[in-house]
Amino acid sequence: MALLQIAEPGQSPQPHQRRLAVGIDLGTTNSLVAALRSGLSEPLADAQGQVILPSAVRYHADRVEVGESAKLAASADPLNTVLSVKRLMGRGLSDVKQLGEQLPYRFVGGESHMPFIETVQGPKSPVEVSADILKVLRQRAEATLGGELVGAVITVPAYFDDAQRQATKDAAKLAGLNVLRLLNEPTAAAMAYGLDQHAEGLVAIYDLGGGTFDISILRLTGGVFEVLATGGDSALGGDDFDHAIAGWIIESAGLSADLDPGAQRNLLQTACAAKEALTDSAAVEVVYGDWKAQLTREAFNALIEPMVARSLKACRRAVRDSGIELEDVHAVVMVGGSTRVPRVREAVAEAFGRQPLTEIDPDQVVAIGAAIQADTLAGNKRDGGELLLLDVIPLSLGLETMGGLMEKVIPRNTTIPVARAQDFTTYKDGQSAMAIHVLQGERELISDCRSLARFELRGIPAMVAGAAKIRVTFQVDADGLLSVSARELGSGVEASIQVKPSYGLTDGEIAKMLKDSFQHANDDKVARVLREQQVDAQRLIEAVQAALEADGERLLDADERMVIELQVQELTELMKGTDGYAIEQQTKRLSQVTDAFAARRMDLTVKAALSGRNLNEIEDI
Amino acid sequence: MGIPCHFALFELQPSFRLDLEQLGARYRELARGVHPDRFADASEREQRLALEQSARLNEAYQTLKSPPQRARYLLAMGGRELPLEVTVHDPEFLLQQMALREELEDLQDSADLAGVATFKRRLKTAQDELNESFAACWDDAAQREQAERLMRRMQFLDKLTYEVRQLEERLDD
Repeated sequence: MALLQIAEPGQSPQPHQRRLAVGIDLGTTNSLVAALRSGLSEPLADAQGQVILPSAVRYHADRVEVGESAKLAASADPLNTVLSVKRLMGRGLSDVKQLGEQLPYRFVGGESHMPFIETVQGPKSPVEVSADILKVLRQRAEATLGGELVGAVITVPAYFDDAQRQATKDAAKLAGLNVLRLLNEPTAAAMAYGLDQHAEGLVAIYDLGGGTFDISILRLTGGVFEVLATGGDSALGGDDFDHAIAGWIIESAGLSADLDPGAQRNLLQTACAAKEALTDSAAVEVVYGDWKAQLTREAFNALIEPMVARSLKACRRAVRDSGIELEDVHAVVMVGGSTRVPRVREAVAEAFGRQPLTEIDPDQVVAIGAAIQADTLAGNKRDGGELLLLDVIPLSLGLETMGGLMEKVIPRNTTIPVARAQDFTTYKDGQSAMAIHVLQGERELISDCRSLARFELRGIPAMVAGAAKIRVTFQVDADGLLSVSARELGSGVEASIQVKPSYGLTDGEIAKMLKDSFQHANDDKVARVLREQQVDAQRLIEAVQAALEADGERLLDADERMVIELQVQELTELMKGTDGYAIEQQTKRLSQVTDAFAARRMDLTVKAALSGRNLNEIEDI
Repeated sequence: MGIPCHFALFELQPSFRLDLEQLGARYRELARGVHPDRFADASEREQRLALEQSARLNEAYQTLKSPPQRARYLLAMGGRELPLEVTVHDPEFLLQQMALREELEDLQDSADLAGVATFKRRLKTAQDELNESFAACWDDAAQREQAERLMRRMQFLDKLTYEVRQLEERLDD
């Protein structure tokens, strides 16, 4: 379909309707949806005028309650109310225990290693809980914008690993959203600021949310947002501040740390309220049951100091990784609700030697930036002046080698998309298989890294040790998601895997969830699918015709052109009927026969950027 | 159509001396054309093509940006394979390396941050000198052996830079 957009950005043969796309900030504490309306990116409000949707989901026997009312029920119905589910995304049961906090849920195992939460509606995976939040936002957007969404950009913490990203994408799919891109939260915030202020230069984004911390260093040049380095901690956020205050209450009041779920929720809410009050007051009276005491801002600062220090250490590392000095940073942007804490602002200002920027609401800035990107990705802006994001992977990717060591194949902070290969060999005579263990992390011992996937390359022909040459290729796409393939070069034996994280849902689980969620919507489904197929077909036909007109003459010979034209004709005929399957198949066929044409045009765009030099000069040296 | 060499992709003549700013500007210009974000609503095939092209562009940029990688690439362009790890016969340099490493260990033991800063400056000077020497001889067939030796030295120092960064991280704890 982009056949047309390659050659002539911005020029559509028939200007089509604006395509509806949104940016979604799926946060630990709060979630938001934003869209571009009359040139302005803004968050969308619900019927009551509320922009922020608390990321709280309460399961009733017959319905799901999401948002403020669910949050308020958290202490009364702790087992069926899920808060901060983002902290569980892409994690296994053992990780959850390591989060070092008491969670009030009853966990059960599933087909995969994912922790399922037992509710009155049965076991719910973190992915399903997130999907329930996303569904509410999707409905809000469709109601506000007045139409079906073409797609959404969902933001994730830059420091999310592959498993956490995959889980987020699965949740969006489950909510019926077409994911245009997973976008790193600090990068989204940079876009919101960059657009507003036409910023140039080096910018640091300090993003402290409810449950995650990110630091990204970007270079802004003429509409290009180039991430130089990113760092952080996917288990550090405002929730930890609450836990610190809760710990202080337990200790000061001489309570037992072993509280029942309802009391625990109560305690955390008390702690959170105290934290928020300390943003404007120097001291606050904390009341818990019949115990009360004063918490000063100074004492609070001392409680959170280790966490603030951890975040600053990550900042220094990101600056070092960028190959720049602290003083080179022109601006520091504050993102995330937890940057309202005065001590956090102060510490960041000290570390960077400048006052951080807080003009855009730190709770909204990520969604606002994501909406801008969503609009571009949906194809609404093709004037060549659009923004470009060049992001990086936050954690190194590698393989297990002999002795339980991790060999890095792609180091952290490498710009994506990226493809990189590494060669290995057999270590035994006649070895016919090789186990490939894919890891993510910075440590040398594999036990300190995250295990992403394991697969086997089988059928290696018998050779002496060291004679086989096995090339393992890692590819990371623009969402930051990894796929790995392995190939024995002599024989061509091949194996590949789209990395399905060890802690992700199994395909079976996803299929079942999708089936469940479609159960009710089955009647509309057929009609909707047909409509989608027709729209797809129409877009492809338009694109092909425009491409033929622009480049058919110079890139195709007469036979090639005839084949394409015949397939276009065939598809045009089918479009008049209602056979969705036939339309889909023919759309695929047309896409296939134009594949080589598309590739040639793509090469042309690269060369077009090279200011009209003779092609032969460029190709070979 | 052949796969263009890294330099040709950026419309540059193969050379060790590079204007990094110009390279960066060219890179951003090219990335605009092929980045997958421009094909988010395109067919799967086109998305795949954009992914491959972008990955190739990124690889080329990463290689040319780093002096040791650029040096290695230039030498390999002649068609001779250069194994990543070889036994290096460069006793003089190896001795110097060992001395530098010992120094680094001492800095770690004494947690001497000011010392690390000085060490980094010296390392940078040594790298600049190496780069100059390489630039002067890499395209002279008669000095091929010397060029390869210099390239290996550059790799060593690059690795040392990485170790310094790791040390800084440990000292930051």
